[in-house]
Amino acid sequence: MFAPNRSRNDVSNNIFKHTRIALNAPSIPAIDHQHRDRIELIKQAIDDAAHLLPTQAPIRVFVHHNTLHAFEDRDFDDAIELASAAFGSHAYLPEHRYREKLARGRILPRDLSAELVEDLGDNADQFLGFLGTRFHLRLAMLQHPLRHGSQAELQWLIAETDTLRAFRSETPSALREQMIEETRRWVLRDLLDEKKSDQDLARTLFSEFPRHKIEKWKGTTWEAVTLRLLWEAIHRAVTKLPADGPGVASSSRPHERPVRESDFDVRDLVDQELIRFCGVYLDQGVATWTLPERQQGFLHSWMNLFADTKPVKSWMHELPGEIQRIRQRGWTPVEIINDALDSMGIPAADIEAYLRQTLFALPGWAGMILQLETTAQWVPFPAKSGSLIEYVAVRLILEKLAIRHTTKFQNSHQHDYTSDGSDPAGALPKADEALRRTHLVFQLAQVIGWKPEFLARLSASEWRQLIREIESFTARDRQRIYQHAFERRLRIQTLDAIGNKREASSAASCDPEFQLVCCLDEREESLRRHVEEVAPRCETFGIAGFFGVAMYYKGLHDASFIPLCPIAMTPRHYVEEEVENSFSKTHDRRTTTRRRIGKLTHRLYYLSRSAVGGAVTALLGALASAPLVAAVLFPRLTTQVRRKFAGLWRSPPITRQTLESTTGATNDDGRVIGFALDEMIAITARVLGDLGITKHFSRIVVFLGHGSSSLNNPHSSAYNCGACGGGNGGPNARALAGMLSDPRVREGLRLKGIQIPDSTVFVGACHNTCDDSVEYFDLDRLPSTHRKEFETTQAALLEACQRNAQERCRRFESAELFIAPENAIRHVQARASDLSQVRPECGHATNAVCIVGRRDRTKGLFMDRRTFLASYDPTSDTDEFQVLERILQGVVPVCAGISLEYYFCYVDPSRYGCGSKLPHNLAGLIGVMDGAASDLRPGLPWQMIEIHEPVRVLFVVEARPPDVLRVLSRNPDLSRLVTNHWVQLATLDPNSSKIHFFHQRDFEEYLPESSELPKVSSSVEWFRGWRDHLGFACVVPTNNSASIHHGNRNKGIK
Amino acid sequence: MTVGVLFNLLGGGVLLAPLCLFIVIGFMMLAGMPLAEWAITRITQAAVFCGLLCSVAILVLMLATGRREVLVDFGDLVTIPQEHFHFQLRFMFDRLSVPFVVLTYVLVGTIGAFASRYLHRESGFGRFFLLYAMFLLGMIVATASGTIETLFFGWELVGLSSALLVAFFHERSAPVINGQRIWSIYRVADAAFLIAAVMLHHTLGTGSFSNLAGSGPWPAGTTVLNPRDSLLIGSLLLLAAAGKSGLVPFSGWLPRAMEGPTPSSAVFYGALSVHLGAFLLLRMSPLLDQSMILSGMVVALGLATATLASLAARVQFDVKSNLAFASLTQVGIITAEIGLGLRYIPLIHIIGHACLRTLQLLRAPNVLQDYQSIENAIGTRLPQQEEILLRRLPKHAAIRIYRLAFERGYLDDLIDRYVVRPFLGLFGWFEKLERTTIGSLDDRPPQDRATTPRTEERT
Repeated sequence: MFAPNRSRNDVSNNIFKHTRIALNAPSIPAIDHQHRDRIELIKQAIDDAAHLLPTQAPIRVFVHHNTLHAFEDRDFDDAIELASAAFGSHAYLPEHRYREKLARGRILPRDLSAELVEDLGDNADQFLGFLGTRFHLRLAMLQHPLRHGSQAELQWLIAETDTLRAFRSETPSALREQMIEETRRWVLRDLLDEKKSDQDLARTLFSEFPRHKIEKWKGTTWEAVTLRLLWEAIHRAVTKLPADGPGVASSSRPHERPVRESDFDVRDLVDQELIRFCGVYLDQGVATWTLPERQQGFLHSWMNLFADTKPVKSWMHELPGEIQRIRQRGWTPVEIINDALDSMGIPAADIEAYLRQTLFALPGWAGMILQLETTAQWVPFPAKSGSLIEYVAVRLILEKLAIRHTTKFQNSHQHDYTSDGSDPAGALPKADEALRRTHLVFQLAQVIGWKPEFLARLSASEWRQLIREIESFTARDRQRIYQHAFERRLRIQTLDAIGNKREASSAASCDPEFQLVCCLDEREESLRRHVEEVAPRCETFGIAGFFGVAMYYKGLHDASFIPLCPIAMTPRHYVEEEVENSFSKTHDRRTTTRRRIGKLTHRLYYLSRSAVGGAVTALLGALASAPLVAAVLFPRLTTQVRRKFAGLWRSPPITRQTLESTTGATNDDGRVIGFALDEMIAITARVLGDLGITKHFSRIVVFLGHGSSSLNNPHSSAYNCGACGGGNGGPNARALAGMLSDPRVREGLRLKGIQIPDSTVFVGACHNTCDDSVEYFDLDRLPSTHRKEFETTQAALLEACQRNAQERCRRFESAELFIAPENAIRHVQARASDLSQVRPECGHATNAVCIVGRRDRTKGLFMDRRTFLASYDPTSDTDEFQVLERILQGVVPVCAGISLEYYFCYVDPSRYGCGSKLPHNLAGLIGVMDGAASDLRPGLPWQMIEIHEPVRVLFVVEARPPDVLRVLSRNPDLSRLVTNHWVQLATLDPNSSKIHFFHQRDFEEYLPESSELPKVSSSVEWFRGWRDHLGFACVVPTNNSASIHHGNRNKGIK
Repeated sequence: MTVGVLFNLLGGGVLLAPLCLFIVIGFMMLAGMPLAEWAITRITQAAVFCGLLCSVAILVLMLATGRREVLVDFGDLVTIPQEHFHFQLRFMFDRLSVPFVVLTYVLVGTIGAFASRYLHRESGFGRFFLLYAMFLLGMIVATASGTIETLFFGWELVGLSSALLVAFFHERSAPVINGQRIWSIYRVADAAFLIAAVMLHHTLGTGSFSNLAGSGPWPAGTTVLNPRDSLLIGSLLLLAAAGKSGLVPFSGWLPRAMEGPTPSSAVFYGALSVHLGAFLLLRMSPLLDQSMILSGMVVALGLATATLASLAARVQFDVKSNLAFASLTQVGIITAEIGLGLRYIPLIHIIGHACLRTLQLLRAPNVLQDYQSIENAIGTRLPQQEEILLRRLPKHAAIRIYRLAFERGYLDDLIDRYVVRPFLGLFGWFEKLERTTIGSLDDRPPQDRATTPRTEERT
């Protein structure tokens, strides 16, 4: 969870603060030069490796960030290649997944060609003599699956299947006929002649197919003969070739070295010890007893715990002695590391690799230690600085003991510590290699049309060239091109849809019915679309969900302040929710009740786990069966009943926020309570400027923040608003509405040229993206003159929420395909309150595009909840494009973070993601483990990303290319993401439908591929009856309102 | 229709419902036509509902008629007259088994409903429900059994399904290793059980519980065995119960069982499986009454488990292990209660504890939110946890106690060192012996001979 612009020095400083002090202490005797070099080397190595550790904070605040943030200074493809080498992870989807997409038309052959041409550059048309062009060879390899297999598999294929009797189904029939015909001619002409060459081929052939009946051979026989000759010709040639050149990497993890059994033993023994110790060291409140003296640091508390009693495990017998030795010498952690490396005989050249391996043995725990000692110090029990390096020291001590033990125990050969094992490809037996290559060329020959005769005549050098050419196009290269092609198709569809959307919404925006400002979140795209369908005369806007109000906030029922703003910002203001004076008595009374109940719950919670208390509670435990059965069988009802009860001691809902700072300005801890008047004016002016609402205010303006509620979900904060740092955006929306309701603020805005009519009322609200409910704030302050308009707005939003739920339900298999909106909302409510629901909502899955521009440019476009929508009015920007800059500064890192995290977690759910949710076990309130004890698993669970499609987010900015370039040049962080291709960028001309795409280093004009866009009269007409991905469509409401049409249809279904 | 026939019908319903469920799911999988998620969910619901209805009906009928013991006989499964052996398939509904059967149906049914949503779209959905059915069948057979051999049959089904459920995510190594470890411990317990059953047959000539507890329905019976036999058979059964319930020295397996999907951990290890040992002791309570020494051993084992587990529970940093040890604490107390001669209190304790723990385990992933809401209600960060015990002790002792809890009483390590290692060593020696013997007969050079794969139990 590094803030995007965190420098790498911060981390190193923090890790080594502890050690540096120790090293500079006078007690250290003069150390010789070499020793000091080694110490520096170790520190440098740990620093470099620590930089690559997962940067996820404790799970309570889950913030989406680029999983490979540390690699952002490189080009995307290079970076993921590098990362997959470092972590042994996948960089792209497996090939067969892309070919499925190819088969289903999600990738078109022309995308492959285009990407291949681009990839090859000038080499595309290079003529390889007998092989045709490189482009055609590679295209054939891309378009047709090339199966790989072990020797045994291939032998089985040949012996038991039709491989040598029938052509592949991919071969066009014309080509097949042609190959058979020419081979037949070749056989009859040349092979029958014993004086000609290729005697060995002829012999093999006629040993299988009786020669004397050659004139009676049927068509199928000739097919088999052709294939047989093809196989033999290839096999004969490749067995003579040396096994060199890059092996065709299979799609499995390429850089993982073979793990030896002894390695596994050592790692396993040490891991088991360390998981338990890291767990108690970092625990934030699950265990009743905390680790003795843990505030003294990792190494100290560990030595403290293990110094005395000799462990029962025989491999750890020498531990107390070891600790004694370390204590006597007064070693610092780095010196311990140095000593351990020394005694294990690691040469200086291998130190870096070995230490990286050490840190990455348990990346989750190591990363969390680093987080708790550096960036996440707000937890109840932060780690002492220097913990990570101490962790490495402890790990190495244990490794040393374990290795010593296993080698002694097994009495086997000297342990090999170096990180690079033997190359598996090189070790492949020659026969195996030949068979593999034969099979590869054999498959290719059938789709390209290389005839047996042609192959039989190739010289040895030509064969070498052929094999080199084929093997240089590795699986990784193919995956990269597939990935680019997939992104290209989606991009073309998106840009075409945006370009082709003519001014469909003619409803003039001069006098909107109401204005709705949502978060730019792609989950709100559908809500906005439905609101516009229900109330065609309304206007909607999108903005980062903290609504420009960065604050620490404490709600009426909250225990502490939490930051509500993007993770890169640090708020300076504290805002609290207070109950209105007239209710203060009730509030006090109920707070006391709540506190009592809370204490009782807390007491019961611990009692039920203790011996005596547990016995008492368990005797009454049969009572627990009632809530158990009810919560599982009737989740929605149970939640309603629970809410009703909880309502008895909830404080009265009539509250206010302490928005304005009073004269005291700060409270006792130096906190700034509330905002000064001019700050409020600045915030509101800025937000309205970003949104482009500076004229034409409607009578009601709703600011709609969002959050999500779900049960049994450790990752719940990942479903909340990303722009609020994983919090709920409701309070921010409310605060902004509150500021804008203040007449003095309006006066201030008037002076800045923003005229808000007195008749305009601002309402804050919060949308729950899980159960699709909307909560409104401060309705008691709504003037009665606006009652009617508000009710209309509310009704429109309610209807939109129902339709939104209906649209979401198409993605849930457990909801009927043709569910009615009323049932859909009930379905999503049940999901939110169901203990057994592992997919309360789909979160950001399928996010793919981010559009920054006026809503008019996209209004009515069905974008399938895949598009972040930020409002920006290019016509009212300054000459320096400061508004655009401001918006991009916020939007690009947030959307890129979400998109890239989803990308990586999807392509490798077990390395980058945290795997399936089902065995997850919450550890120390900081993260999840798999089962009883495992590494801490950062990243997103599979159930959350299941339906995602991994693409880099495409930004479409409504501005002219030079202006965007100007903004980028002023912001190196943004331009780094763009120029290194971590995101895609396009511009939409403000005055026309011309689109430019940022390609390689500059913008190029985009030429639309099609000019068609399906037209439907309502969203439901487009999405109904379909669970899978949906393309773009233009929703043009017909004259009779969509809602009426809709109601009728529902009656039919009921 | 007489009451007797009605009892037989209902008893049949209780037993046949899970059997049919198991056969249907299993057969369809074997036949290569695995059922769809919705079909599995439906038939599971039907079977559980049917079984629950029958068992409640039995309860009502027993209360109405005042009968305290109902025997349902299915005749002999196997008879070998020459050896005087017969495997009697007899089931018994009395004050002990009926509450257990009803509890099993309620909890397992709830978990079935939970799991059908929790495991939605999981590739092992069918496998989970097959094991689930096997577990349910084993549980019902074991609790309603009227003879020791029938109990053993159910006991084995429970053990097998439990071990396979722990290893549910077999693509990772940790669940498989832990599943295997649990299976090994179950084997030890099963062996003890089997020997006890054979001895019981040998001395009594039958394995029927009603013969064992000669004079009246549970818990009133007194055994006809002499104290020496009681002690011997009882000790073996205590060993079996200790293995199944995770009593000392086998406590290490329970936290390891938390590898499977949450619902299975919840119901199987948190609630039902762990209580099966206690159930066995209750069923064999006439033996305990007979022997003071045996009762003393039961109390000692129970208290040792409770003490150790309550210490270990205090230092667990993950929610599931924390609950596992909390659960074990109660099982220890329940065992001690049984040893003290109580009968109804442990029964109530088991039922209450099973319900409570299931609820807690199902909500385990929600702990973060629960903490948050408690904090919000209290209005501050959660109060610093009580460390009274640790703080009162001298520093040195406190660290030792912490270490003891941290290492979970060293139980697993002790077993590894003093049981597993010598055992492996012995068989390693046999292997070497075999290899040298065979090697002397084989004239090929040693490197060409096939090597036997190394087998070692990982800890």
